[in-house]
Amino acid sequence: MPSFDDSGLWLIGLVFGLALLFLVVVVLLGAGGLAGLVARLPFANNWAKLQRSVALAVKSLWLHKLRSFLSVLGIIIGTSAVISLMSFGEGSMQDALEDIKRQGATNIIVRSVKPPDESSTASKGFVTSYGLNQGDLERFSTFGDSITRVVPMRVFPTEARYLERLANARVIATVPDYQVVNKLEMARGRFLIPTDDAQIENNCVLGSEVADKLFPFEDPIGQTVNLRTHFFRVVGVVRERMPTGGTGGSQAAEEFNRDIYIPLRTSRGRFGDIIYVRSAGSRSAEKVDISQVTLTVNAEVDSPEGRAKVQALGNEIKRMLEQKHPKKDWAVTVPLDKLEEAERAQRRFTMLMAMIASISLVVGGIGIMNIMLATVTERTREIGIRRALGAKQRDITMQFLVEAVVQTSIGGLCGAALGIASVYAVPAVWDLLRGWGWFASESALPAKLHVGAIFMALSAAIGVGVGFGLYPAWRAAKLDPIEALRHE
Amino acid sequence: MPSIVRVVDLVKNYYMGTQTVYVLKDLNLSFDEGDFVALMGPSGSGKSTLLNVLGCLDRLTSGRYFLGDVDVSEMDDDQLSEVRSTYLGFIFQSYNLLPQYTVVENIELPLLYQGVKLGDETKSRCIALAEMVGLGDRLDHRPLQLSGGQQQRVAIARSLVNDPHLILGDEPTGNLDSRTSLEIMQMLRELNRAGKTIIMVTHETDIAAWARRAVRLRDGRVESDTRNDARTVVEMR
Repeated sequence: MPSFDDSGLWLIGLVFGLALLFLVVVVLLGAGGLAGLVARLPFANNWAKLQRSVALAVKSLWLHKLRSFLSVLGIIIGTSAVISLMSFGEGSMQDALEDIKRQGATNIIVRSVKPPDESSTASKGFVTSYGLNQGDLERFSTFGDSITRVVPMRVFPTEARYLERLANARVIATVPDYQVVNKLEMARGRFLIPTDDAQIENNCVLGSEVADKLFPFEDPIGQTVNLRTHFFRVVGVVRERMPTGGTGGSQAAEEFNRDIYIPLRTSRGRFGDIIYVRSAGSRSAEKVDISQVTLTVNAEVDSPEGRAKVQALGNEIKRMLEQKHPKKDWAVTVPLDKLEEAERAQRRFTMLMAMIASISLVVGGIGIMNIMLATVTERTREIGIRRALGAKQRDITMQFLVEAVVQTSIGGLCGAALGIASVYAVPAVWDLLRGWGWFASESALPAKLHVGAIFMALSAAIGVGVGFGLYPAWRAAKLDPIEALRHE
Repeated sequence: MPSIVRVVDLVKNYYMGTQTVYVLKDLNLSFDEGDFVALMGPSGSGKSTLLNVLGCLDRLTSGRYFLGDVDVSEMDDDQLSEVRSTYLGFIFQSYNLLPQYTVVENIELPLLYQGVKLGDETKSRCIALAEMVGLGDRLDHRPLQLSGGQQQRVAIARSLVNDPHLILGDEPTGNLDSRTSLEIMQMLRELNRAGKTIIMVTHETDIAAWARRAVRLRDGRVESDTRNDARTVVEMR
């Protein structure tokens, strides 16, 4: 969707433009000799003075309660916006990632792929043989404990018949573990069980759409469907499954509801090694031992070690296949890559949100600067008195800087409290509204408190205080003591 | 008697746009330690400018200014602040107390910039000073709750807290009625007797009469420099 990309780019551009502007302003101010002043600020060597300054700042803020509140309002809004936006971003990200994880983020998928040269040059009538074979399957089992499950599949399209009804289906010959790996839920009956495979039973499990087509009225369990030349007894029906590109095999979204599952050994016994596929009037014969193998790695997806383990195993499998297969007739897919890609995208999105929210922090900073400049003018005489009584320029700088920082810190703390509260309150209110039937079609708002965002927003607020407090403080320090004393 | 303040060929000009205003013209003055000096003169005579220069608030255009043995005419802003903080005490016409501070906090203020650790010790010293100026019962009052005379007494206590070598007064009784002025001048005289050097600007002759020495300025030059010898004789211990 190009329009989204454009608006995203436009926003990023805007944010960076503003950030750049802010930086330039700060640098320009710094060039005005502020850098030197700041470097000499006696923060470290005079605690008593600093404490005193903070106490004084709090006092003078308390003196003008409404004004102080209004001037830090921007900071409050900015801080709470950063925290709540990042928390909601984090929440929806975790939600989305949970989805991917449910689909098996620790899986490694090895598929058979028809080599490109083969498909173009193979003459009709010849049996093309390619892909994974029984030997590969045995080699996968040498990984031992690292892999908890190996689920081989043989996939071929066919027609399924029951009485006069017909459905285009896809036969998936596999083992009982397929249900676990793909997290299939049964609508009725059961999935394949080990004895089906061991006994080479003619049992099958129908996908929901196939079941609907073949058995619109009757209970499919116990009925017999015809696949090519063989008859299979229906033992179960799978609940409807959302099409997904998760672990089905290819990267594209797959339709699972037209699948018919049969035991792997049964398929080999009944249909043989060569599978004939009729497509667009032509007939092709393929000898594919195993279309796909899904390996589940014994690793924790949330830990970096676990992820490294999955990646390492993926690479090892690639190496192994490269050695054994002279042609590139296989492909390895690691869904974890997709997970990490999604995580990266979400993180970018969250950062973007944070940047947008920090605009209001910058705006809040301008408010602080404005009020500080007014304060300096208002308290010119006080500055003169302090200077006459021995205050150095840097003492004055520090006094006003501390005041600005105290303002933004208090604002930041209030904003953090507000932001944290909103993270808990907004989803609760949202749920309540949905409970009343408003916005019932919308989904729940997932929010997860982003602890990093709290610290980020708070330090940004303090940074804004320093950044925008410097110029007024510098103005105050540069006042001529005599002029200041004379000021009414 | 050693001189505590000595200005040599002091020139002070102001630049207003393209115009130069010559305020002080080759002033040569020397004040002794322990003296009580009144700077007098009509407005525009330069007496306030001289006080600002002596108070290290203003820079001189040329000449030398020795405070004790130290030449302060070449000092930078930080050093001048240091000098003000360590050696000088100020009393202003409009008291110049900070309204948001209590009496004790106002007295304490100069210590804040000396890098002294503020604590019980400094606080008790400030309280002692407040008691000395007769405000022992108003320690936690704010300036706006005090009368003018009381405010000026707080200012005097404040000017003493750093134990200055020199106290500078800019018309200290200018905003006060005659009875309160009397009180304040008595207090200053007490301080002078206790050994403090005081230089004050005034345009009232009866206030100047309290001083031991009166320097009259006119148009940036010394017009007259008289010693109030009678008083000196009487007052000298």
